[in-house]
Amino acid sequence: MERIPILRMGPFLLVTIQVDMHDRLALTLQDDLTAKIASTGAKGVLIDISSLEVVDSFIGRMLANISAMASVLDAKTVVVGMQPAVAITLVELGLSLPGVRTALNVERGMDQLHRALGGTEKRGVNEPARQDAERGDIAQ
Amino acid sequence: MAARKKIKNQDLLLQQELRFEQDVVSTRQRARQLASLLGFDAQDQTRIATAVSEIARNAYKYAGGGKVWFSLQSAAEGRSLFTVQIRDEGPGIAQLDRILRSEYVSPTGMGLGILGAQRLMDDFRIESAEPRGTLVTLAKLTPRTVAAEEIARITAALAQQAPQTALEEVQQQNRELLGALEELRNREAELRVLNSELEDTNRGVVALYAELDEKALSLARANDVKTRFLSNMTHEFRTPLNSILSLTRLLLDRLDGPLTAEQEKQIGYVRRSAENLSELVNDLLDLAKVEAGKIVVRPGEFRVADLFGALRGMLKPLLAANHSVALVFEPADHLPPLYTDEGKVAQILRNLISNALKYTEKGEVRVAAAAAPNGTLVFSVADTGIGIAPEDQERIFEEYTQVDSPLQRRTRGTGLGLPLSRKLATLLGGGIVVNSQPGIGSTFRATVMREYGGPQEAAYVPDLPSRLDPTRLPVLVVEDNRETLFVYEKYIKGSGYQVIPARTMAEARRLLREMRPIAVVLDVLLQDESTWDLLKDIKTDEATRHIPVFVATIVENEAKATAFGADAFCEKPVDRDWLLDRLHRIAKQHDRKQEVLVVDDDEVTRYLLRSALARTPFTVVDAPTGNEGLRRALADRPGAIILDLAMPDVDGFVVLERLKADPQTRTIPVIIHTGRALSANERARLDEAVAIVPKESDSPELTRSHLLDALARAGITGTTHQQELTP
Repeated sequence: MERIPILRMGPFLLVTIQVDMHDRLALTLQDDLTAKIASTGAKGVLIDISSLEVVDSFIGRMLANISAMASVLDAKTVVVGMQPAVAITLVELGLSLPGVRTALNVERGMDQLHRALGGTEKRGVNEPARQDAERGDIAQ
Repeated sequence: MAARKKIKNQDLLLQQELRFEQDVVSTRQRARQLASLLGFDAQDQTRIATAVSEIARNAYKYAGGGKVWFSLQSAAEGRSLFTVQIRDEGPGIAQLDRILRSEYVSPTGMGLGILGAQRLMDDFRIESAEPRGTLVTLAKLTPRTVAAEEIARITAALAQQAPQTALEEVQQQNRELLGALEELRNREAELRVLNSELEDTNRGVVALYAELDEKALSLARANDVKTRFLSNMTHEFRTPLNSILSLTRLLLDRLDGPLTAEQEKQIGYVRRSAENLSELVNDLLDLAKVEAGKIVVRPGEFRVADLFGALRGMLKPLLAANHSVALVFEPADHLPPLYTDEGKVAQILRNLISNALKYTEKGEVRVAAAAAPNGTLVFSVADTGIGIAPEDQERIFEEYTQVDSPLQRRTRGTGLGLPLSRKLATLLGGGIVVNSQPGIGSTFRATVMREYGGPQEAAYVPDLPSRLDPTRLPVLVVEDNRETLFVYEKYIKGSGYQVIPARTMAEARRLLREMRPIAVVLDVLLQDESTWDLLKDIKTDEATRHIPVFVATIVENEAKATAFGADAFCEKPVDRDWLLDRLHRIAKQHDRKQEVLVVDDDEVTRYLLRSALARTPFTVVDAPTGNEGLRRALADRPGAIILDLAMPDVDGFVVLERLKADPQTRTIPVIIHTGRALSANERARLDEAVAIVPKESDSPELTRSHLLDALARAGITGTTHQQELTP
């Protein structure tokens, strides 16, 4: 059974999607990831989709779901590396990925997570980072 | 239905099934790939792929699968319309109108897909007819003109990278595996069949081998039996043949009264036939012996000149019938003596010469000998006969081969002579080769080693044994000349005496004490000593006075010799008969009876022996059985016993053993007289006999001389003087 690997990096989980996922694989990733957050108590999840050339409504929804579930499990989710064409298509499709934080690349995504972690300590849970707006967030 | 028509009118690029979840992914990948090939930019590629993904997912999710067609339609301004049609056989889409009017919001996000796809493409049509499935047509204008050949190229490219989902790949691999397994199974079955076939063959081969082994064994046994048969049969033949030969000789010698001319002729024929048969038997026997490896080489020293002399005498009868052929022996006096088996060399030469005589009608047969390199001696027998064709020159050495010729038909032979001769020559370390020209003549060359098996008695005069041979009476010869010593040795060879040589006075005195000779032969002039003193000493010493001394010298001085007490005087060179006569007379004084006991179960042999010894000083008594022989030996104490080996009651071996075991008969010398070829083992058992005389001699003279020799060796003397024997 094929699976998308989930790597642990300190307090964060790192997922790099490098294959064109079929729907069940996407759902499996969703389940694996939530289980992993629960088992490791990770504080953040970074999902790299730079290899994906097509993100349709199902995968888009899946990303939104993961983000929502992680949030419920007290972990921040950042989706990084979305290709411009994919981003444009998603918007045209009418999918806005509400509640999903995004970053341009893995480095910036990690920064975001670190800050969120630090911020959590200073500012408490669920308070969005200040600089979020300037970072290509697809959410309106 | 309109949609189907449309499909037919388009340039179909690709057609794909939607059966598994993975097919949704591959369909959108194909869409993207095609878009790229058709020249759409990256954004449009993603748009098309996303739209196709949405519709394909719907078909898979809600209708359980369907079919996808990718095609190209011509459109305005030379551009084309990239069209994707997805059809399913599902239940159709309820509230399609509401969805399309954006009024419907799916709880799962459905509806967003259709609407989104509609937004992403240039053309979007959906035909849903509950409950008969759905056909969705998506289309986008290509950014540029697509030429017909480009379509072909695309189609070819797609065909090459055959769309395969992982599952299909697995299925394909499964099928291949199954195929491979099936093939393996077939191979295995084939191998099993082959294996069992091989096992069968193997069993057959093993059986064949066993059969071959058996055959080889039985062949070896047959060959062995053949050899034994030959050797036994020929022996069986020999006794009666010898009887015939001896009896005919007696008749021809008119010993029992005169014959008429006719009778003489008839007996002559009988004799000749018997001779031929005897020759055949002898050849057969020799061959059997060679084959059985039983021939023993008995090397001895002899001179070629002597051998030639003997051969000349032996072959004279063959010449008598043919006056136009001369038999020439070239002088061989210059050749050093040979040390090898004289009998076998003689046999080889006899064969070659009689062969040459057989095939030569006129001219000559020339026999010569010459020293050759590597310690060999070559005898050559050259004739002026019919010759041998080159192709036959090797064949004649094969057994029972005779080359066909007019002469051949006239002369008979066994075809065994040459092969036997060659085998004998090989045995003596040489061989036989032939050189021949048909019509001119042949030359056979027999090579033998001059010294058989190494230089055992290389010296010109063998160093005579200081050891006494108990069966021969010692004669001390005081003589410093080696050649003369050799002559003496020759003289008394086979006569029952042995030469004890002394080359100096001191040696002579020592040997005189040690050896107790029956006589002394004294040369009065040694190198630098005069032996008169020795003579005087011998004759004055009590211990040696009785020993007769013969003085042999170059100076006529008989008076002085007699004065000193010499028993006889002789001027050199000493005459052989004179010497032997003196010795015999002395030996006679050794108190040996003149009676000879013949123990033989064969009446003819007894008769022949009796006649052979008839005109000698010996008296013959005989015994027809071994037991009778033993009884007579004990009762009569004969001077010698002539003993046959094969007898029905007690055989000769046992008789000899018993004679030697009994102190009363132990001293009686025994001469074995047999027709058997003796094995080394048998010879060893006969060690105590003084001599073994074969029964093969075909004339009474030869038998008599053999017997007389043996009797002389036994120390009892008739005399070998012919003159005394003839009445």
